[in-house]
Amino acid sequence: MMRLHHVPQSRSMRILWLLNEIGAPFEVVSYPFDKTLRSAEFLTLSPAGRVPALEIEGERMFESGAIAEYLCERFPEAGLGRAPGSPDRMAWLTWLHFAETVTQHLAALTQQHLALREPAQRSPIVTQLEAARLGKCLAAIERRLSTPVENRDHLLTSGFSACDVAVGQAVYIARHFHRLDGFPELSAWYARITARPAFQASLPAPEARLYTRDFYPPLEETA
Amino acid sequence: MSDTPEIRLHHVPWSRSFRILWLLEELGLDYDIAWHDIRKGDMQEPGYKAKSPAGRAPALEIDDQVIFESGAITQYLAETFRLGALGRPPHAPERIAYLQWISYAETMAGVIEQLNINHVFLRDPSQASPVVIKLNTARLKGTLAGMEALLGDQEYLLPSGFSAADTMMGFNLFAAPYFVKLDAFPRLAAYKARIEARPAFRRAAARDGVQTFYDRDFYPVPGPVDKNVDKLKG
Repeated sequence: MMRLHHVPQSRSMRILWLLNEIGAPFEVVSYPFDKTLRSAEFLTLSPAGRVPALEIEGERMFESGAIAEYLCERFPEAGLGRAPGSPDRMAWLTWLHFAETVTQHLAALTQQHLALREPAQRSPIVTQLEAARLGKCLAAIERRLSTPVENRDHLLTSGFSACDVAVGQAVYIARHFHRLDGFPELSAWYARITARPAFQASLPAPEARLYTRDFYPPLEETA
Repeated sequence: MSDTPEIRLHHVPWSRSFRILWLLEELGLDYDIAWHDIRKGDMQEPGYKAKSPAGRAPALEIDDQVIFESGAITQYLAETFRLGALGRPPHAPERIAYLQWISYAETMAGVIEQLNINHVFLRDPSQASPVVIKLNTARLKGTLAGMEALLGDQEYLLPSGFSAADTMMGFNLFAAPYFVKLDAFPRLAAYKARIEARPAFRRAAARDGVQTFYDRDFYPVPGPVDKNVDKLKG
C-alpha cells in the first residue's frame, strides 16, 4: 500500500488531496512541523528533510511536484494528468510547476509570520514584498480563468486536473496572506474545486492546524 | 507545430531562464532571445503578461504557443525535441529520479531566491533579516549536501548520463557559491566543472554575458545573530 508522510497544511496536503481524488488505497503518517523531519530516520526518506515523501511500490519519492506527476502517470484512469503529446500537455506542465512558484512565496511568508517568533528577527519589507508577489500570482490565475471568449471552469480547457489540485492547495494557504477580493473568477473557481469531497477529506483536524490565525497581514516598520 | 519551429526565449541574464538558454543549446535548436531587465519592470507590461501572466521569466514562445515556468519548459522541450533524448519518458526506469531532480532544483532555487532578495535586492542592509539569511543559508547547505550524497560517483545526475535534469541546475550552481562555498562538496564541485566544460553550456554562457548581478564574490551570513536561531531550524 502507498504511504504518505504528511504535515497538515504543508505541501504534502497537495498529495493527500491528489490521492483522495485517485481513490487507490493509501495510509498517512503525520508529523508535527518541527525537528522530527531532521531525524536520521526521516532523512533516509527525504534527503532535505522535507514533506511530502511517498512510499510507492517499493520506491521512496520526495518533492511534491515530482510525486504529483508520477501519480498522474501511474493512475491514468483518474484523468488528472495530460500525457506527453496531448493537446493540454504544455498548459498542464506550466500550471503544475506554477503551483510551486506560488508555494515559494508562501514558504517565505510562513517563515516570517510563523517560524520566526521574535518580532526583531522578522523583516517587514520582506513580508510586504512577498505578499505583493503573491498578489501577482493570484492575478495570473484570475487572468488564466478569464478568457476573452468564455471563462474557464478549471485551469485547463480540457477540465479538472492535477493543476487544480496543486494550484488550488496553494491558494488555500495563500488566503492566510492575501485577500481574494478583487479576483472574482479565482474565487468562483476556488469555491468550485474546494467543494469536492476529496478536498474536504484532506482538511486538517482543527487542533492540527499550522496556521492558527485566519489572516496574517504584512508587517509594518516599527523603527 | 512545424518541423522547424520559431522559438523565442524571454530571458533575464543570470536567472532561472539560463536553464532554458542552455537546454536550447544542448538541443541544437534555433531561437532568438528577448532580453528583459528585472529592475526595469518591463515584464509587468500588459503585453508581456499576456504571454507570462505573472510577469516572470523565462517564458518561451514556440510558433503561436507560449509556455512559462522553467521546469515546465524544460520537460516540454526535452520530451518534444531530439527524439526525447534529454528526457526520461513516463514509465522509463529513471522516471522518478528525473522528476525528482527537476523539482529538487526548484526547491534549491527558491532558497537561493530568498538569499538574492536579502543580500542583493534590498539595498538598505538594515531591511534584511539576519536570521532569515542564516536560516536560508543553512537550507541551501542542506540541499547541496543532499545533492552531494545523491551524486555519488555518477558523472551526471542520472546514472544513464546527461539529461534535462542537469540543465535545471544551470542557474543553481552559478548562484549557490555566492552564498555557500563549495569546498565542502567535492563531488558537486567536480560535477559543476564537468557541466561548465560542455560546449553547449559555454555557448549559452557566452550569450548570457558577464554577470553584473552580484557585486562581490561572496556574501557571508551577517553576524552576530540571536542564539535562539538554532531552535528555529525545525
